[in-house]
Amino acid sequence: MGYFLLRRLWQSLITLFGVMTLIFFIQRLTGDPTYLLVPETATQQDIETLRHALGLDRPLVVQYLDFLWQMVRFDLGTSYVQNVPVSTIILSRLPYTLQLAGGALLVAVALGLPLGLLLAIGNRSRLTSPLMGVVLAAQSLPTFWSGILMIMFFGVFLGWLPPSGTGSWLNLIMPSIALGLLSMATFARIMRSSVIDEMSKDYIRSARARGVGTKRLVVRHLLRNSAIPVISITAIEISQLLAGAVIVETVFAWPGLGLLTVQSVVARDFVIVQGVVMLGAVVTIAMNFLADLLYSLVDPRIRLDGATR
Amino acid sequence: MSIRTTVAIAAVAAALSAGIAQAKDQLVVDLVNEPSTLDPHMQWNPDSYYVYRNIFDNIVTRDNGGEIAPQVATEWNWLSDTELELTIRDGITFHDGEALTADDVVYSVKRITDPELASPQLGQFAAIIDARKTADNKVVLTTDGPYPVLLAQLVKLSVVPEHVLATVSEQDFNANPIGSGPYKFETWDRGVSVTLDKNDDYWGDQGEFETVEFMAVPDASTRVANLRAGTADLIVSIDSDQAMQLESAANVKVLTAPTERVAFMGMNTLVPPLDDPELRRAAAMAVDREGIALGLLGGGEQVVGQMATSAHFGYVDGIDPIPYDPEQAAEIVAAKGDAAAVPMTFATSPVFDQRIVQAIQQMLNEAGFNVDIGLTDMATYLKKAQNADPEQRPQLNFGRWSCACQDVDGVAFPLLHSSSNWSRVNDPELDALLENARTTVDSDQRLEDYARVAEIVRDNTYILPLYQATALYGAADALEWQPTANESMFLNRMSWSQ
Repeated sequence: MGYFLLRRLWQSLITLFGVMTLIFFIQRLTGDPTYLLVPETATQQDIETLRHALGLDRPLVVQYLDFLWQMVRFDLGTSYVQNVPVSTIILSRLPYTLQLAGGALLVAVALGLPLGLLLAIGNRSRLTSPLMGVVLAAQSLPTFWSGILMIMFFGVFLGWLPPSGTGSWLNLIMPSIALGLLSMATFARIMRSSVIDEMSKDYIRSARARGVGTKRLVVRHLLRNSAIPVISITAIEISQLLAGAVIVETVFAWPGLGLLTVQSVVARDFVIVQGVVMLGAVVTIAMNFLADLLYSLVDPRIRLDGATR
Repeated sequence: MSIRTTVAIAAVAAALSAGIAQAKDQLVVDLVNEPSTLDPHMQWNPDSYYVYRNIFDNIVTRDNGGEIAPQVATEWNWLSDTELELTIRDGITFHDGEALTADDVVYSVKRITDPELASPQLGQFAAIIDARKTADNKVVLTTDGPYPVLLAQLVKLSVVPEHVLATVSEQDFNANPIGSGPYKFETWDRGVSVTLDKNDDYWGDQGEFETVEFMAVPDASTRVANLRAGTADLIVSIDSDQAMQLESAANVKVLTAPTERVAFMGMNTLVPPLDDPELRRAAAMAVDREGIALGLLGGGEQVVGQMATSAHFGYVDGIDPIPYDPEQAAEIVAAKGDAAAVPMTFATSPVFDQRIVQAIQQMLNEAGFNVDIGLTDMATYLKKAQNADPEQRPQLNFGRWSCACQDVDGVAFPLLHSSSNWSRVNDPELDALLENARTTVDSDQRLEDYARVAEIVRDNTYILPLYQATALYGAADALEWQPTANESMFLNRMSWSQ
């Protein structure tokens, strides 16, 4: 176990280093932020002055080493555009992203898991195809479109919900649904195939032979054993939700990290993009690690060192 | 319906209508993004200055008619061609209660022109080489040469408190700005909104709204929905389609203003094929500008024949646009044969309306040119357009230009003077006129120079002016506000109709 943890930690560090290097150089292959910071009428000298002040006139290797040194000290730097520490900006936006991801996950799990179970238990019934159709449609709708439709219907036409922004839990409903629908379908499909898979196993048959009722069978056996793929998909879906949040946050003016990333990419505010991507990488790596850990708790047959008894 | 029910409904209706008739205490404005900064010397983008211009007073301002009007300076007086004396208004106080003095004005000028601060606005004030206090209420600004645009630039120079900036860091000042304007900074909820409170001690016209909230709403459809749902009272940056949508909706209206922003097609006159004046003229004839303004945009844009609008000093009457004549354009191009077939890249960025760029590309190709669109992100576009070697700058580009100074110098000099990093024109006569107009204090002489500039530019087709852009805003029906050519948003010039 200790060896496994160390190895995973080492792998994580290598991954982080790779992500850091990639994000640093890829960003610098694109435009120079200085041009976006000055008015169009600025002279070449103004541009040079600002570039020097931002340290962008130094050799790329020097900038890279400086960036690595900052990262080692957990210093995310200062935004070019806002002149505010990136950590302050990210910390102010993080709670919004967590709220939205939480809301979306709730929608996805609360709708997806029962739906998946229903589809599995009622397999080959008349309802299966239409329900699967609904699930697929929900997953296929472009978020910006379903988002705008919801805003126009519930926000403008009915006036039930605030069309955008933050401030109350009511603001969270539409963006959570818009984002959660994407993952809901994934949960439903995984749950369905997992349950179908479990139902064909011997222990279920023998439990049925012993006269165990359907309700007890589902709650005591099926759900627990079908949960493993769902747990692993949850970890991946959380990362997906953070990525999908970019569009949902833009449509609903939800000030999370997704929107911050879009705005920073457009403004070529490299430092913020670096900070957000690093945070994303850390979260993704941590989620995968957590999924591994949870596997072993749910199913003791799986050991963290990968050996199966 | 019982009498009691009827009475109750009537009472509720009366209460509601009374509520509607009451003046509003809070105004909600939807911007595209949050301000980049509230330090008025640091960032120059619309979302920032919509907000900070209400927190700070500028040295001078423009009235709704576009005339330069007193603000912190009550009077101005040219002592010589290079010295401008300002008289500072008595009785202005900053939001912390301290008086605004001539020292603050001197400090503000020196701060924004200090290369150490690396203000993105430095270029606008670089001509100022000194500021000094000559009496308790007098400040003299010295320029490195005669600079007639100085007053127009001072419209954008905000006065900041020296006593505050002496004690807090720039970051802290940005987080808690203290100005002397009609609205006080209250809170900045990062990424969400900035809230301002009315300054009850303001020396000038007081605002009508107790608080104003500027929200960051990046998606235009969402801004429109917010306005229609009543969660926003004023929204910026909508296009003509969204304006049409609002015109047919209840309780909202569209406000428009012709701006000082000129849209143009830039041409590289230094490299083939557009180094040939006849081909440039053919390119101009091939572009249906009326069609673009009316058919594609439809927001009230006006075709222009010069790189200026009637809102600019230096605008010349009687410069007609080159007429649209696709047949003649095609004939000229055909006659040039291979010379006209040289491939050209039309540089553009997603920031601009791609419908226009695509329409122009198609019109040029129909006339026989060989044009491809080169779409890159804005930063790359800007870098290409300002390449150190003018011959490497794009052969064609689309741009929309405003200097926010309402003076032709701010448009014509950067785009047409051979020394500028945007220009792809090299004409000594034009250079001399632009330089003279930039360094002559005599207004009549300047007007004469710009009249000649407009003629030279049209006769040689150095650039193709397209149209005067219109700013479109959505507003609640009850909001009274007249948008202006310089796209400012002064909250103390807004009111709520009863």
